Amino acid sequence: MEQQHAIEQFYYREARMLDDRRFLAWLELLTEDVRYVIPTRHIRLGHLPARGGDEFHLVERELGGAEEAALREDRLPLLTIRAKRALAPNAWAENPPARTRRFITNVEIEDDDACAGEVRVLSNFMLSYSRHGADNHLYSGQRQDRLRRSEDGFRIAERRIVLDWNVVTAPTLALFF
Amino acid sequence: MTRGIEDLVSADATLVSRRAFTDEAVYKIEKERIFGRAWLYLAHESELKASGDFVTTYMGETPVIVARGPDGRINASVNSCTHRGVAVCHVERGHASRFICPYHNWTFGMDGRLLAIPQQGKIERPVDKARLGLRQVPRVESYAGLIFGSFDPDVAPLEQYLGNMRFYLDNYFARFADGVEVVGAPHKWRLAANWKLPVENQLGDVGHGPFLHGAVLGGRDAIAEIEAYGFNMVPEPGHGAAIRLLPPETPLASRMWGSENGSASAFSAETQAFLLDTQRQMEDRLGSVHARIKGLTYGVYPNFSFLWANSTIRVSHPRGPGKVEYWSWWVVPAGAPESVKRELQGVYNGFFGPGGLLEQEDSDAWAQQYAGSAIDYMDDHPYYYGLGAGEEEVHPLLPGVAGSCYNEHYARQFYLRWQRDIAEGAAR
Ligand code: FES
Ligand SMILES: [Fe+2]
Repeated sequence: MEQQHAIEQFYYREARMLDDRRFLAWLELLTEDVRYVIPTRHIRLGHLPARGGDEFHLVERELGGAEEAALREDRLPLLTIRAKRALAPNAWAENPPARTRRFITNVEIEDDDACAGEVRVLSNFMLSYSRHGADNHLYSGQRQDRLRRSEDGFRIAERRIVLDWNVVTAPTLALFF
Repeated sequence: MTRGIEDLVSADATLVSRRAFTDEAVYKIEKERIFGRAWLYLAHESELKASGDFVTTYMGETPVIVARGPDGRINASVNSCTHRGVAVCHVERGHASRFICPYHNWTFGMDGRLLAIPQQGKIERPVDKARLGLRQVPRVESYAGLIFGSFDPDVAPLEQYLGNMRFYLDNYFARFADGVEVVGAPHKWRLAANWKLPVENQLGDVGHGPFLHGAVLGGRDAIAEIEAYGFNMVPEPGHGAAIRLLPPETPLASRMWGSENGSASAFSAETQAFLLDTQRQMEDRLGSVHARIKGLTYGVYPNFSFLWANSTIRVSHPRGPGKVEYWSWWVVPAGAPESVKRELQGVYNGFFGPGGLLEQEDSDAWAQQYAGSAIDYMDDHPYYYGLGAGEEEVHPLLPGVAGSCYNEHYARQFYLRWQRDIAEGAAR
């Protein structure tokens, strides 16, 4: 219960940090070896041998595998470039910046590995994005996180973002979800 | 004064009307006269290895299924049931032996032939199934593994249509001993932009790099290299190839594919060895001019683009004058070990695709350009395409017409060809 509360509070603070555009502070929430991945998602044929069963339309099979180019596959150096770039005056896609609001729900602890000091957590997100007047978009998806405990709270060691789109209808995925 | 549709591009193409990007009537003619006639990129042969493999795509806004049929031949069918029009395939790629239309279950083969009408046994008069196959795209041809289709049965053969562009395509697509393969499904995203802008950008607008992308590229050596050795080639009007022609004495490691911005030194020893070896083999096979060429961006009229250094094929699918669905595929040397492919991935998706460091800036610029094109009272303020006009010339080594990397002749030639196509459509 306490763990659940602590993780939810961590996510809310993180979301507020990003909505407040404190990208450099957000970088501090990442581990050195962080993996940040958005796999592609595509409409595929159902898996015929599994017809009639829950495996027939498995979400995982719609997601691009490791050999495919993900929509994003960032490590700390690239995430750092993105965060710093977003604060540069000549980052034309982000100056003026988008107005964003992140909603994090369905926080579910999947696995708590006390020995490794890591927790696997699932959560859903909605992200409202507004830029250039009335250019408004709503993103939705799931985050599959691996959080690592540190002396002063959690750090994100892995985040895999499962989008609900096959065709991305918002103008950019160069955001932090 | 409002210009006529045959008058949107000035005679020397240094001026292009904003309406070329926004006018509904122009868009209708583009669909008929350009997308209904030209060679359009469909798929890469590596995506259709076996009989029964298929992908779905679009020719303009028309949905098509590209498949390897039972006889091993690649064909393209319009994805619309001949009974009442329902799409017979609702997925993006896969392997199948037939397509079953959801509505009344008419069943089509992987070559589009109508195989079965379930209701046929219940009626008396026979139905001529041979006439009711899916509409076939009449011309499908490949060059270097790139499959194109055309709705015009009389279109010039693909090789002739590509003309001198083949030289530049060869520089990449014939570079690798085992060829190239497309990995995975494309990235797809929608932008509030006209389809021609992404195309124009990659036909040769390398000049925007240090400016639009200043926050990422500013001060990099790459810019100096492009300014010193860069050429905007127009192999044929409408096609484009922005490249660098390096001095002959450039060391192998700096002229090889994979050596952008000194990035090669960040690769593992295995990947570096692979890249060097690939370059050596390529130079033996393709010769001394190709040995000195490092590509940048390519375009094949009307809406196929290729980024040489970042290994990505892209198609700008129109969705009305103010919307585009942009598709972007990642290409790899087919013979590269898995670990090498993994390392090369970031060269593509770190920079390009909807989440790419550079492409987020291009995407925004294209949408903003459309907004600018759509504002009122601007008919008498066409866009200026005159940079470098008259400075282009023939180059002794490079096929086509050469301009410096800031010369906009690639766009002038594109819009002249476009205007010609549009005007013929208007006259009919
Ligand atoms: S619409 Fe396809 S079978 Fe009737
Ligand atoms: Fe760009």
